[in-house]
Amino acid sequence: MRGRDSEVGRAGVIAVVSLLGAWEMLGRLHLSMFVPPVTDVAVAWWRLLGNGTLSKAASSSLLSLAKGFGPAAVLGVVVGLAMGRFRTVRYLLDGWVNALMSAPLSALVPVLIALFGIRDTVVAATVFMFSFFVIVVNTMTGVRGTDRSLVEMARVFGAGEAALFRRIYLPAALPAVMLGLRLGAVQAVKGMVVGEMLISLVGLGERLIYYGNTFLITELYAVIASVLVIALLASQAVQAADRALVRWK
Amino acid sequence: MAAPGLVPIVVEGVSKAFGAVRALVDINLRVGAGEFLSLIGPSGCGKTTLLKTIAGLLPVDAGRITVGDRTVTGPGRECSVVFQDFALLPWATAQRNVEFGLLLRGVPAAERASTARQAIAKVGLAGFEEAYPSQLSGGMQQRVGLARALAVNPRVLLMDEPFASIDEQTRRLFQDDLLRLWSEARKTVVLVTHSMEEAIYLADRVVVLSPRPGRVHEMLDVPLSRPRESSDVRATAEFARLVDDLWKILRKLQ
Repeated sequence: MRGRDSEVGRAGVIAVVSLLGAWEMLGRLHLSMFVPPVTDVAVAWWRLLGNGTLSKAASSSLLSLAKGFGPAAVLGVVVGLAMGRFRTVRYLLDGWVNALMSAPLSALVPVLIALFGIRDTVVAATVFMFSFFVIVVNTMTGVRGTDRSLVEMARVFGAGEAALFRRIYLPAALPAVMLGLRLGAVQAVKGMVVGEMLISLVGLGERLIYYGNTFLITELYAVIASVLVIALLASQAVQAADRALVRWK
Repeated sequence: MAAPGLVPIVVEGVSKAFGAVRALVDINLRVGAGEFLSLIGPSGCGKTTLLKTIAGLLPVDAGRITVGDRTVTGPGRECSVVFQDFALLPWATAQRNVEFGLLLRGVPAAERASTARQAIAKVGLAGFEEAYPSQLSGGMQQRVGLARALAVNPRVLLMDEPFASIDEQTRRLFQDDLLRLWSEARKTVVLVTHSMEEAIYLADRVVVLSPRPGRVHEMLDVPLSRPRESSDVRATAEFARLVDDLWKILRKLQ
């Protein structure tokens, strides 16, 4: 398995490096201002990092990400467990969760602005809204997918509701919960950028709007690259937690 | 734990339906204390349903089941179940799986560990304590399932097609081990199976259920002497005659 993983990793690196190489060559032809050479973007990224622009924007963004994703993860898992285990809760919430999961949530950001004002709280709320539902649905699916015969087996040995929950449903749902958190983390980064772009006040999203409007394309790409790195790291962090927790797979 | 006394199972007028489907109708059956009974019948005859009602996993619609002097209204401490699909916790090692019943019954950790280790050794899996189910073959997984059932020292062992998904050679060795374990520590056993040879080889008596709705169709005594595990019982004319008798009964039910 290890060997296969590193092979996939190597293929990924080759793909990324060759794409960047192609882009660099295309950029050197100066066909369009929207295709700046990768090296120019790297220089801009280094400059923005040096003068504090990037770190200031990123720290504001990451704080909103944490403030939104933390509660979304905790509440999402709790609601998902309840919906998975109790039919009444599921019947009550299923419609809402499905509707909001498929809804274009960016459309709700103005409501959040009206609610909280133009503040970074809106960003945290957007992060929450983007990541919450996918965590709920995955957790619920995990609980509902629990092997029936494991439940019967535990009941034969006298397990009551609390023991079933702790010893069967929870561990059985864990892989699905971790997948939900991983998808949720990626959604959270999306929510972060969307929220910041719409309030145009703080964070990396504000920088995206600013550099886009002022046609500072290399700087724009430098910020986009930073967002991609954050999304990747967030997903990797959850994946690492997954590997530590779900060792039996 | 104290050596368990042997208890009979009495099924009186039990009926069970799932919606409009009548699974069991007026089942009357007595399994003697320490008897090994096989339940056989075409698929859909309700043999697994009957086993689950005895285990207390399914409520009956009518009639009564008693295990020893307890009327079954839910799972009880005297029964263990071996499941067709093993029902092992995939996230737990063999050791933890075998400890699971003891854990749910509140046995302290140290006692749990040593009891489980002994049970694992008894089913021939010593050395595999730390293996996860996915690392074990089907036969070995079911041995873990049997060890878990035996670890709580039950008076009644209920087995739901335990060898159905195990290959033939492994199955024969496993059946012999089961008979050996049963003769060392007698229990009242009800085995659900769809194999005629298995039903006769293991049991004192075979109960044939008829399908849709499930009724007790016929009972067949198995007068083969014990121990059977070391002798070539399967090669005897008497064994062949019993299998043939059972086949004649079952053929009419198809």
